Parts: sequence; C-alpha cells; structure tokens
Amino acid sequence: MPEIPMRKRTWAERLEDLPPRNFKAAIQTLADIIDTPSADGLESCVRCGLCAESCHYFLDDRDLRSVPAYKLNLIIRIFRRQIAGAGRPRRGAPGLSAAAIREWADALYGRCTLCGRCMVNCTMGIRIPSIIRKGRAVLASLGLVPDGLDSTLATARETGNNMGITREDWMETAAWLEEDLRTETSDLRIRMPMDAAGADFLYAVNPREPKFYPLTLTAAAKLFHAAGRSWTLSSHAFDVTNYAYFVGDDALAARFASRLREAMDALNIKTLVLSECGHGFASNRWEAASWLAEKLDREVKSVLEIVAEDLRAGRIRLDPDRNPKTVTLHDPCQLVRMGGIIEEQREILRHCVRRFVEMTPNRKDNYCCGGGGGQLSMSEFAARRKSAGRIKAAQIARTEAQVVASPCHNCLDQLADINKHYRLGVEIKSVLELAAEALLPPQG
Amino acid sequence: MTLVLSDGKVIGLNEDGFMNRPGEWDRIVAAALAKDQEGIESLSQEHWAVIEFIRAYYLDHGQAPMVRNLCQSTRSTLRKIYELFPSGPAKGACKLAGLPKPDGCV
Repeated sequence: MPEIPMRKRTWAERLEDLPPRNFKAAIQTLADIIDTPSADGLESCVRCGLCAESCHYFLDDRDLRSVPAYKLNLIIRIFRRQIAGAGRPRRGAPGLSAAAIREWADALYGRCTLCGRCMVNCTMGIRIPSIIRKGRAVLASLGLVPDGLDSTLATARETGNNMGITREDWMETAAWLEEDLRTETSDLRIRMPMDAAGADFLYAVNPREPKFYPLTLTAAAKLFHAAGRSWTLSSHAFDVTNYAYFVGDDALAARFASRLREAMDALNIKTLVLSECGHGFASNRWEAASWLAEKLDREVKSVLEIVAEDLRAGRIRLDPDRNPKTVTLHDPCQLVRMGGIIEEQREILRHCVRRFVEMTPNRKDNYCCGGGGGQLSMSEFAARRKSAGRIKAAQIARTEAQVVASPCHNCLDQLADINKHYRLGVEIKSVLELAAEALLPPQG
Repeated sequence: MTLVLSDGKVIGLNEDGFMNRPGEWDRIVAAALAKDQEGIESLSQEHWAVIEFIRAYYLDHGQAPMVRNLCQSTRSTLRKIYELFPSGPAKGACKLAGLPKPDGCV
C-alpha cells in the first residue's frame, strides 16, 4: 500500500509550541492593516454589552469569552497600548504574549463566524467582523491558521478552486450533467454551456457542486434554459468562494477574486452571476472592488436575482404544488445581513412551495447557522460549532417546517450537520433545487 | 474524538469524526465508523463498492473522487449514493473510506 503522508505539525501543536519571543512583528502587522474605520471602532467600544445577546456563541455557552466586545477587547488592548496615540507604545505597556496569542486564536477563530449580528446590534456601529478578520490576519502572519482552513486556502491557491478540481474533471462533470439533463428532460437543446464567448453572463459555482452535489448545478441550468437565458460556465475559473476573506488576507483575496474577472474578460462578458454562496456573494459583489481597486463597472449578481427577474417577467412559471411540504428559510448572513439580498429568495419560495413559513428572527436579524466564517473547515472547533448551532436548531424546530431551504452551500452543510446532531428530521434543500423542482414547461 | 474497536484498539478521529491517521484504515475500521458516525448497522455490497472505489482513488490521487467518477465507476445514480450515505459523499462515504476531511465547504 502506498505511503499516506503524515500531516505537518497540527494547529494545536503549533499553538502549544510558540517560539518564546516578543511578538513585535505581529503588532507591526496589526498596525499596518488597521484602517481608519477599524481604528475608529477600536477607539469607540463603550462595553455596553448589547452585543452579548446578539451572538449565537454567547447565547449557547454564556461564557464571557464569547461576548463580541470581549473578543474585540483582545485587539483593543494591544491597539491602545501599542499602536494608538503617537504610534509609539506606551512606556512599559505589555505586548503580545504567547498566552495572549492563544487567547486570540481561541476567540477570533474559535468563537466567531463573522456573521455580523453583533455589528447590527452595536450601539456604536462598530464593524466588528471586519476587525475580527484583521485579528485573524495577525494570527495568519504567525502561521496560525487552523489546519482545515489553511489547507482549503492552499488548495485554492495552488489549483484555482478550493477543492482541487482539475480543469479536465470540471469539464467532464459539466458534459456528464448535460447528458443527464437531456435524458431527464427529453430536451436536446438544454445545455451546460462551457466557454461560450459573448454570453450574457458567466455563472460561477461553489466547487462543492461539481464535486459532490451537482443537482444544484443542473437546477440552475434548467431554470436558465426555461427562461431562455444566454449564459456560460468557464473552463478556467468557476470557483465562487474566497476563503482568503476568512483570514483577512486581502492580497490573496484579490488574487482569488481576479480569477473570475479574468475569465469574464477572456469571454467578453460583462455580468457575473454567483451561485448560492453567502461569502462568495459578499466577497465578489462588495469586497472585490476594493481588493482590486477597481471601479464598479461590471455587474455582479446573485443567481437569486436572476431567477426572481425571470419570475417577474413571466419568463418562467413555477408550480407550488410540486413542493407540497412546509418550507422554512434560513438567511445566510453573508448574503442577507452583509450582502443585501433579502427578498428575492422569499419571492422565489412563495412561487415554488405550497406553504412557506418564516423562522423568527429572520432577514438581517437572523441567527447564523453556526457554519460561517470558515467554521466548517475548522475541525478543531467542530464541537463548539455544533453546540452553538442549537440556536438555529431551536429556530427551525419552532417553525414545524419539514424542509429548510437556504441559498448557501456552506449553510446547507452546517444545516445538515445540526439536522443530524439535534435529530430535527427535516430535509435540507437549496432554493434553486426547490425552484427547479417546481418548474413548468414554457407556455404555448 | 476516538473510535474504540471491538478488540480494544483505539482510532483517533478529529472533531468532525474523520480519521486523524488515514493509514490506520481497514474494513473493520470502516464498519465501526459506519455504525458510530453514520448509524449504519451493517454495510451492504453497494456501500462497500462505493467505499472501496473512494479508497483506491484516494490512494492513487491523494484526494476524493468527483461524484461523477463515483457514479460511473460503481454504476450508481446520484440518488442512490445519497441514499446509501445519508451524510452525503463527503461527510458520509469519504469519511467511511478513511479519507481526511475534504477541503472547502464541507
């Protein structure tokens, strides 16, 4: 049997064995990346504590270390003593110790999903997730990124997508799905178009779709086909995700974001449409422009906007009786609270399921599923992630719905985990899947 | 986390239930993982065909196969794969085949 390579030192080992030195370089990194809004935030927390009740980690464990202001204060402490003021450390001010670094690692990676619920509840309007990301970047500069997240980043860097799918595998999967679609629909014109120059939009997907869950990809193809849309996939860049967002590495995030833009330019396409992915939307729609110092001169849309437009224009018709079970909706934080796509998914669901019920709270006040911020990739904190997921599990149970829909692949995986963990007994589906299930043939 | 086999041997798992040392995998471990992690009391021929294909693919390529390879090589439909492994190809099938946790949103 071939050798299976052993892993390098684990995250826990690296944390345990921090070299006994002063962490001056890390403090300098923090000083370099703190921008004005973050500095304002670090100077203005009044510790009112309103954020405590907004955080699903704190609601779950009632541990002081889970209070957003407490997490923020870890950074504030270093910022005020070492960076603020004249940019010189206060005399005798303690710097970062190994113990402090361990506390940062536990809090900033292990007790936060960057969901932003604390931010919308903050009396001072502090952009807490953005500052947490900077704290994560400081840890990353010390080589302290949790293993699964680190490995996902390396795969994305080296292969062009976060699951290491080769170009050949991607193209073969698309061809296989096209064949299946034609058999299933008996429609020989339905396509999974690849590298169609001049199409109206480029469709980017979560690598999880071609790798493990392609039914959402065929769902999109069915909906686009029915609406008569001109669209394409690219054989060179297809990954909607950007894990650099989770570790605050803006230079790497820019590189990832530029891949889809280069693919658009190569095919002479002006609109990018993003599959169901929360952080993929937040990063490609909102953050990419600043990472790339680019004018907002191209359209970036969620696939939900496309389907909702087609419904309004009567280009597609959906039959709610095809989905007779009661459906509730989980709002992905990065798409809804941080991204601003709020009503489209509801509009689609009201058209394609017989009974749609909201969970409470919802929209921008919705609780995180617990899988955001890269948590799904951090097995180190999986037990905590599932525990904090009980807030979402309770929300779901209260709706008595049989199906939980969510327009984010990352959320779908976490929802599946808590479904199993808390024995909720629900089905977990993407919004596109439900819509495609209800799709009626064109009239006439 | 750990998995204790009937002979008392202890297998280290990460917090998501994936094996820490994929080299320790054998059919006994797979059957124990199936029971412990997936609630599958006994693995059928169909389960084994999928698990063995994934295992062999992993040893050759260092990663999990595309679900397309899985369907075509085991002559299964997607629906069948999802039925056999309720936690899906990644957290179900790949886990039982002793792969480390795949990268990405899983």
